[in-house]
Amino acid sequence: MYKKTSVSLLAVLFSIFILCIAQIGVYAENSNNVIDYLNYLTDSEITNLQADIDSIKNTYGLDVVIVITDNTDGKSSRDFADDFFDYNGYGIGRDYSGLLMLINMQDREVWISTSGEAIDIFTNSRISTMEDNIIGPLSNAKYYNACRTFISDVKSYANAGVPRGQYRVESDMTYADKVSRTIKSLPVYIVALIISVGSTLVLSFSSKGKVTINSSTYEENGSFVLSERRDDYIRESTVKTKIERSSGGSQKSSTHTSSSGRTHGGGGKKF
Amino acid sequence: MTSVKEYKCPSCGAGLDFDPPSQKWKCHYCFNEYEKSQFDKFDEEEILNEDMPELDSYICNSCGAELIADNTTSATFCIYCKSPAVIKSRFSGRFKPKSVIPFRLTKEQAKETYQKWIKKRIFAPKDFKLKEEVDKVTGVYAPFWLFDCKADGFISGEATKVHSWQRGDYKYTQTKYYSVVRRGNARYKKIPVDASKKMDDKYMHLIEPFDYNDIKDFSMKYMSGFMAEKYDVEAADASAILKDRVKDYMSERLRGTVNGYSSYTTNSRQVNISEIEQCYSMLPVYLLVNKYKDKSHIFMVNGQTGKVAGDTPLCLPKQILFAVVVFILVWIIGVFGGALLV
Repeated sequence: MYKKTSVSLLAVLFSIFILCIAQIGVYAENSNNVIDYLNYLTDSEITNLQADIDSIKNTYGLDVVIVITDNTDGKSSRDFADDFFDYNGYGIGRDYSGLLMLINMQDREVWISTSGEAIDIFTNSRISTMEDNIIGPLSNAKYYNACRTFISDVKSYANAGVPRGQYRVESDMTYADKVSRTIKSLPVYIVALIISVGSTLVLSFSSKGKVTINSSTYEENGSFVLSERRDDYIRESTVKTKIERSSGGSQKSSTHTSSSGRTHGGGGKKF
Repeated sequence: MTSVKEYKCPSCGAGLDFDPPSQKWKCHYCFNEYEKSQFDKFDEEEILNEDMPELDSYICNSCGAELIADNTTSATFCIYCKSPAVIKSRFSGRFKPKSVIPFRLTKEQAKETYQKWIKKRIFAPKDFKLKEEVDKVTGVYAPFWLFDCKADGFISGEATKVHSWQRGDYKYTQTKYYSVVRRGNARYKKIPVDASKKMDDKYMHLIEPFDYNDIKDFSMKYMSGFMAEKYDVEAADASAILKDRVKDYMSERLRGTVNGYSSYTTNSRQVNISEIEQCYSMLPVYLLVNKYKDKSHIFMVNGQTGKVAGDTPLCLPKQILFAVVVFILVWIIGVFGGALLV
């Protein structure tokens, strides 16, 4: 009996282990990462880009998608980019890490959508820098150059990793969402408890009366004489500390929720 | 010579009380008012420098009934005819006060003060608040030792000056240490120390200060119409309390001259008190003692300035309710206001 249970326990543990491995090992279903509806890129250019993207996938575990279109089905660049990424099976791993660059010729806008780990690596300021780099070639209709610039920026930032002090901010949370989040936060309860107990104690014990006399109440006017006053310097010490510079908003990754319910980061610019 | 003094109106012979608002003696029958000097002409000030023997009992001059008085009660009323009665032996010899601050507040004002005060005691039980005990408010001349003294003080300690600046990626904090010494002396005048064991020292201290501009040479006439107590704490015992207070005053005063530093801690202090002189005085206090569930709760008003001290029983359910209401309010503000800011 004892043997049987331990065997079945082992079996359960083993299958959990397998499942975990499988989860980690799940790669993107979609291996077609450059989608050019407008035929701006030649086949050999697409092959080159795909080869670079494959190496990024293997090295950094980030899926990279490039979409060139002039039809966003009436969606905004942000929603189109998010949905394209979510509904076409992109993203690596459990949190669907990866990013998508949408070149929207309808609105002449470039949009970078991030997902999973890429949200943390590609902060608002990094995305903005990348887009500034891309806008130049795009304005001159150098689409392949734009894509190469994008790929090389992705590589260098992926290599640099998540910047120090990076944090996420949910940008389009509704007021109700924020309320439900503050309801769950412990500090609100602690502060409320301290204030309520503190004010009750202060009111209970301060009601007796206040001492309003001080050291000079009974002192005869002008009788105080300071006969000795010495202030002798003894020693000094200097402490040197390194200033931790947190460069404010630059480490911020703004996030929002897409129609599929997943979380995305990103940003866009007109060209 | 009688052992109990009762002051009578020179015009009609009825009892004559001291009237706080006018600071005169007023007859409640014929409404005549007398200044101290006028009153003295009719009723000469008795010199009571010699100790008078204590009697087993005292008799009311008006009705002949026995006065009910504690061993320390020195002015009271006859419980039968309500005549004010001053027991002379308890103001004579070593119990002869030197000065007095007459009442300024009337009993009515003291009652109003109590009612305002009790309304604000939010944690007092309802049945305690509603107790109609307010008529028991009594004006009492409380015995005090007023001490004059000289204090020589010395404090020494360590002080720091902290200065910080930035250079490049580094912040530098420089701390300079100083040894600080202060020596000084001052005279203190009329520090009051409670001389009655009956009165709670803590509350007597809370109704300080008294305004000494009103202080008068003692006369038993001021006692007429009020209760009074004689001292049962000797000056020598009271001076221990005085010394503690003066030590604190002096060190605080010297501490006040240490400035311009970021921090200062006193390592040693020494205060010598000399030239202690005391003056036995009667100071005006309105007193109300409420019994609630076998515990006495004191309410006190400074009979001159109206300053209040006192305590009430605390009602735990009220405290809990208050704490819960505050908790909910802070929580609501925190959640809904906090969500606006996040």
